[in-house]
Amino acid sequence: MKDNIKILIVDDDLDAVELLTKRFRAEGYSTSEAYDGGQALQKVKEYKPDLIILDIMMPKVDGYEVSKSLKNYDETKHIPIIMLSAKAKIPDKVKGLDFGADDYITKPFDYRELSQRVKYWVAVKVGVEERLNRIQQLEKELIQSERLAAIGQTVASLAHYVKNILFGLKGGLYLANIAIKQNDTDSLKSSWDILENNMGRISDLVLDLVEYSKEREPEFEKCSPNKIADDVCELMKESAKEYDIEIVKNFTSSTDEIFLDPKAIHRCLLNLISNAIDACAFDVSEKEKWQITVSTNFKDDGAVIFQVSDNGLGMGEEVKSKLFTSFFSTKRGKGTGLGLLNTKKVVNEHGGTIDIESNPGKGSTFTITIPKRDLKG
Amino acid sequence: MKKVLIVDDNPDVRKIVSKLIQVSGYKALVAKNGLEGMGMVKEDRPDLIILDVLMPKESGVRMYHELKTDDNFKEIPVIMLSGIPKKSFLKSQKVLDEFSGESAPEPYAYMEKPEEPEELVGLMKEILG
Repeated sequence: MKDNIKILIVDDDLDAVELLTKRFRAEGYSTSEAYDGGQALQKVKEYKPDLIILDIMMPKVDGYEVSKSLKNYDETKHIPIIMLSAKAKIPDKVKGLDFGADDYITKPFDYRELSQRVKYWVAVKVGVEERLNRIQQLEKELIQSERLAAIGQTVASLAHYVKNILFGLKGGLYLANIAIKQNDTDSLKSSWDILENNMGRISDLVLDLVEYSKEREPEFEKCSPNKIADDVCELMKESAKEYDIEIVKNFTSSTDEIFLDPKAIHRCLLNLISNAIDACAFDVSEKEKWQITVSTNFKDDGAVIFQVSDNGLGMGEEVKSKLFTSFFSTKRGKGTGLGLLNTKKVVNEHGGTIDIESNPGKGSTFTITIPKRDLKG
Repeated sequence: MKKVLIVDDNPDVRKIVSKLIQVSGYKALVAKNGLEGMGMVKEDRPDLIILDVLMPKESGVRMYHELKTDDNFKEIPVIMLSGIPKKSFLKSQKVLDEFSGESAPEPYAYMEKPEEPEELVGLMKEILG
């Protein structure tokens, strides 16, 4: 276990350093040395010792300063420090310990005693390091397994989404073949529509996947937030009606325009409203009616707020915390399927924020805030 | 003409499967969730039910159990269409069995999405002749 234990010897007394160096090396330790406090701090950074023998009385920066400094930093606070001093009184020892020393030996000392103390502190440090490594390892494994779970969930969601599209293609093809055999032009046309529709969904999906993987700067244009919100509401109206959900528009009366990427924001709103529809559709509680309120508003500082509010399922803390890990929203909806993660990415690219408030059983409200941008020329 | 009821919340699936039903020579009945589905079963008794598992407003899990524990309807053959593995579906039925005290038999067939249209058509012919 003495393999490559590194001891840093700090003392302005060259003879003392030489002596200790010889004795430590004879025991199998590796050593390095420093002759004043400043040099010591530098050496610790480079040499990364497992233990430090530290003389107190040194010119410029003394042992107290060195000890205090090292114990202040996460990277060095675990290195045991054995202070050496001619000052033997209790107050001196206490001062040393106050400044962070782990142990204190008075000069002149018997090397054998020092050697024993060194063995002890090295064992302590190794034990602490092992424990820390184990904790770090566990943390890494936890993050990794969460990431795998998210990826697994993502892959599963993606597979599910593609399965749906596949069924559309297979079905459309099957029906088209029959229509051709029976010379039925009308049936052929409607089968063709099904095929076209599903090809379109694959294109959208690929586009979204590519968009997500790219580090893209948003393409800013001056536009009206109301127009974007209105477009999305109109697009989703039919879907919502299928589940007896009403979409209510609550737009600002201001006709101000703001710089943002309209296509990207359109996708975000599409995603939020699609999720809201799911939340209401899957809510089995007794409610008079289900409503999704889409609002726009301007803040005093010129930032724009988009809000999508529903009175559906709502979610608890655990679900809320996992919201941004899964890529794809649930199986239906006019959206391309790329979920909240893409929305969050777009909002971040705009320098904005997305906030969620939710009450299980009562509903959820998603709020996107996009700051004002001054783009000249 | 024999009647086949398709219950699925996905409009594309409803469109395609009703077409498949029609070209096979049967009448297609369509419902978008379990609630609607049960309504249609009571109103216009089908000879075969094709049932999706995951749907809002009464899932296929519930509707299946309701069908199979009702003397009036338990004889109607059911083909399950599903995004979840057969094991999970059967487990869910067991749970419902425990709650209601009645046990439901396994469906005639269990197809995992995406279904092969030929297979679905073949099954329908097998059951209805």
